[in-house]
Formats: sequence, structure tokens, C-alpha cells
Amino acid sequence: MRDISLIVRRVWKSAFMFAALSVLTVSATQAQDVVEGRKLFKDNCASCHQLTSNSTGPALTPKLTELDEAFAIKWIKNWKALVDAGDKEAIEASKFSPAEMTAFPRLTDEQIKNIIAYAKAGEPKKTDAAGAAGGASTGASDGVSDFSIAGVIAIVILSIVVLVVLGRAIKMLERLILQKQGVVLPEEESVSFAEGTRKMFKNKKFVFFFILCLIIALGSYGWMGMWNTGVHTGYQPSQPIKFSHELHAGTNQIDCQYCHAGAFKSKNATIPSANVCMNCHKSVQATEKYDGEISPEIQKIYNALGYDPATMTYDKTKEKPIEWVRVHNLPDFAYFNHSQHTVVGEEAIRKEKGLKPNEPVCFACHGPVNTMEEIYQFSPLTMKWCINCHKDTKLEVKGNAFYDKIIETHEKIKKGEKITPAALGGLECGKCHY
Amino acid sequence: MKGSMLAMNKNKVVLASFCILASAVVFSACRDKESTGLEYARNMYDPLAYNPDQPNKNFANGQTAQTPPAHTAPVGFVEDDIYPNTKEGYEAAGVNLVNTMPLTEENLLKGQHLYVVMCGPCHGEKGDGQGHLVKIEKFSGVPSFHDPEKASSRGGLMKDLTAGKIYHTIKYGVNMMGSYASQLSPDERWKVVLYVQELQKAK
Repeated sequence: MRDISLIVRRVWKSAFMFAALSVLTVSATQAQDVVEGRKLFKDNCASCHQLTSNSTGPALTPKLTELDEAFAIKWIKNWKALVDAGDKEAIEASKFSPAEMTAFPRLTDEQIKNIIAYAKAGEPKKTDAAGAAGGASTGASDGVSDFSIAGVIAIVILSIVVLVVLGRAIKMLERLILQKQGVVLPEEESVSFAEGTRKMFKNKKFVFFFILCLIIALGSYGWMGMWNTGVHTGYQPSQPIKFSHELHAGTNQIDCQYCHAGAFKSKNATIPSANVCMNCHKSVQATEKYDGEISPEIQKIYNALGYDPATMTYDKTKEKPIEWVRVHNLPDFAYFNHSQHTVVGEEAIRKEKGLKPNEPVCFACHGPVNTMEEIYQFSPLTMKWCINCHKDTKLEVKGNAFYDKIIETHEKIKKGEKITPAALGGLECGKCHY
Repeated sequence: MKGSMLAMNKNKVVLASFCILASAVVFSACRDKESTGLEYARNMYDPLAYNPDQPNKNFANGQTAQTPPAHTAPVGFVEDDIYPNTKEGYEAAGVNLVNTMPLTEENLLKGQHLYVVMCGPCHGEKGDGQGHLVKIEKFSGVPSFHDPEKASSRGGLMKDLTAGKIYHTIKYGVNMMGSYASQLSPDERWKVVLYVQELQKAK
């Protein structure tokens, strides 16, 4: 009996091993197909198709799972021939969208099978390593000043407590020693707190010291308060959408100008309108981070535009603009022009602030925006701050059309030629109108 | 009331004021990031003339920045709307629209800069469809401009696209690409077209 059970067990084991191995090899060959199919999909199909949601073309995972493989191959190679031949299924499929699909006669049957295998298998799940690495770099750096102030206060309070406790202990010990020596001590009369303070304030030295402390504290508080009045450095209001500059300008390396196009051609840097968001977020929905659901933050863009991601249509009546909170704000009597600084003054500012060649000129005043998960005001934007930079910065005149014009006008003045206010920018609207 | 206040123990007044001061110092030490801090004359920041981002009760939707009325254009802005965003409009633009932007080094450099900023994230700085966003797999299926075999989704090869077709695509977008009409003025678009046509010649 025992032998039989042993043999059965052995057979069972080998069968199991065989099964496991075959599964492994099968999945390995399939993985090969899927990897190859994924590459082909990305190169050829992805500009119009996504796996799980409709875009220009239908979602491919359900479509290719449902379709007969032979039909799918014929369709992908040349769908028009199928339609022209009067294939009912093909005519039905061609009605999905007015945008015509590109024919792919170059793809071989094997390649198309790989694409189908990839579409059926879906996107392989990524490991969490990448996500963890991305999240680790947040925090730190900011809030140092607040933290250090709180630390100093805590240390002061702690040392006072320690001193008081030690003083009490010493007194107790002294009394004990004296008692042991047989000295009879009169019971210490307990003094009420109010009584004690009253006595303290009768002491002239203490009152003087107290008033001195009061003047120093009040004075420095008032002084600091006055200097920081209207200075918004570090202002970091929470925004209606948790837009991360760290992700967009840092990880994704999108240039500042892509969204803030106005900064290089006008006074204002301009907050991008939501259509600029949609250039990418029509397809980027971060579904992999939200279990296949659209990221709630990206959904807010869709809500603002009245956009329905399922049908990919806009409903104008549902539009509700995003109310961003303004961070950088100059008082109305100060005129600041972005383009004057980012275009005319770019070289000079780069040199003065020591920016690296790969850093945008914007960093000079806005700080390392590509590390700010939530945007905050980096520079004080005070008059003193402006003036100091204008005093120190050396202008880069060479090869700068702006200064060429000034030099040209000055040459004319030297020669005694006719100069009109228009030559000196006298036709700029802003010279007279606010 | 006042008499009784004065009659109160002086020491108590001093003590109370000290406590208030101490708490004020402690509270002011932790600055609130959500607040702009102490401000003098806030109305200087919210001018009567309305900044574009200020709320405005004079308009029904409460915004200062209003959508411009239909059929209006800023001074100096020339835009032809004769080629609509349809297949026919695209084909017609491809045949009839000519790039009048002169092919100078300055225009080409400007076009290159705008291309790298606006198009480079996906199309790649060399026009090979391998921009940073493609490499990190945020986007895929971006065609190369100079691949000898790469077909456009609207017919023809990518490297044979005419200036008019490229302009039409920048203005209206196609497939997953959005419209760049709000980010690039017509002149800027033509400069980008100049540069893209250079990329088409690359090997």
C-alpha cells in the first residue's frame, strides 16, 4: 500500500512539474508576443487607439477580443478592400467615426497576431518601485524656518522647566540634610500665587527687567511686522486642482512657455486656459494610479469644460471655469512686464542670477518651480528687491535688437537728425493709458 | 466702569498684558502659508480697474475675463478661416495654403525654439516621434517626420506633408494632438512649419 501511495505521489509530482513547466514556457512565448505586440501597438496604433477606452478609434481590448482573428487581420491590412467587397461586418465597423483608419499593408500576419495578443492581455502591471521612488522626493526643504522657530521656543520652555525642577529638588535635599543634622526648620509658609506675583512686582529690579523684556519683545515684533507687511514670500494657497509643477515641469520636462505662452510675448505670464490642459489630458488620465478610474484631479478639468470622457464631447452649457488662486500679485501702481525680462533681459538676468543653461530664465525670480509640488511665492517681489537687481545687473547689450534700436536713436540725436517721440516708444499704448 | 478698571490691581493689568503679548509672539511665529500675512492697503492689490483674474459683479458670470464677442480679433491679428476643420478643409489647405514666411535663419531659429517647446515633448527635438513624454510612456504612437515609410493617418507619407497640411494640423489638431491655435499665433505657426519642413528632410 505504501509503495502505491509513493508511486502515485511521484507521478503526481512529475505531472505537476510538467504542467508548471509547460505553463511557464507557454506564458514565456506569449510574453514574447505581447512585448513585440506592445511595441508595434505603440508605433502604429496608439496615435488613434487606446486599450480600454475609445479615442479616435474604438478601445482595442474589447474590440479585438470580440472580433474573429482572421477578420481583424484582413481589416488592419486593408479595411477599405473589405468595405468595397461588401463585407457587412466591415461596413458596420467603418461607421465608428468619420475619421478613416490608416491601412497597414506592411504589417505581417504574425505581427498583427502579436498586436492582438497584446491587446487581449492588456497593459502589464507595473511594480510599485517606480511609484515609491517618485513619491520619496516630496516634502523636506520647505517649512525649515517654522520648524526651527518652534524648536527654539521648545528648548527655552524645556530649560525653564528643568531649572525649576532642579531648584525644587536642591531645596528639598538641603532641607533633608538639615533635618538629619537635627536642625529644626520652621515650616515654610505657603505663599499663594497671587501673593507671590504681587511681591515680585514690588521688587524694583524685577519690574525694570520685566519692562525691558517687554520693550525688546514688542519692539522686535513690531519691527519684523513692519518689514514683512505686504511681503508675500512663501505664500502657498491651496488651489482648486492639485496641479503639481514638480510633475509637469520636473518629471515630464514640459517647458514653462508651453502653458505660460504669454510670458515671452506680453506683460502677463498668463494662466493657461483649460484647452491647453486638454492637449495632453484628452488621453493622459492617470488611470493606472486610480484602479482604472480617471484621476479625480484630471476629472476636475473635464468638469470645468463640460467634457464627457466616455463620448469625448464637450457640453458648453456645463462649462464652469476653474477659479485658480493668484499667488504672485503686484500692487496696481507697480508696472511689471514679463516679456521685457524674459526676452530682452534674458542673458543679463541669467548671468546675474547664475542660472545653468538648462534652467529656464523664469527660475531667476520664481525659484526652482520644477521641484514645487504646490506653487509658492519664492521671491519677495518688494520694491527693494527690484531696485537691488536693477542696480547690480550688467546689461548684455551685444546682439540685442532692443539696445541696437536705442543706440541707433542716440546716434541720430548726436548727428542732429530729426527724432520723434515715436522713435522712443512714444506710440506704446501703455505710455499714456493704464 | 472705567473707575473700577483703574482701581484694579496694577500688577494684574501688567500680567495680563504680558500674557497677551507672549501669546501674540507665539502665534505670529508660525506663519500660515495660506495667508498673505499682514497687509497694508489691500485695495492696492485689488484695483478698481479690475485685473483679468478678479471677480467682477458687472458681468452675469462674475468674471472679468470675458470671451471676446464672435467675429472679433485683436489689432494686427490676421486669421483666415476659409479652411475648416474637416477632411475637405485639410486637403484644400494642403493644396492652396502656401508658407509666405521667408526662410531666413532668424525665422528658422524662432521656429526651432517654438517647435522644441510646443511640439518637442511628443514629436522629439529631432522630429523622430521620440519626445520625452513618449520615452517615459505618457504618450505613444507619435509619428516620425522623416521616416521614409511612416504614413500619415490622413493619407500620404509624413515626410511628404505639405506646408498647408502641417499648418492646418497645428491650428486644429488631429487624433490625439490638440489644437495649438491658442498657444501659437498664425505667424508663429508658419515659423514652426518652416522648421518641421526642415525636419522632414532629415535622414
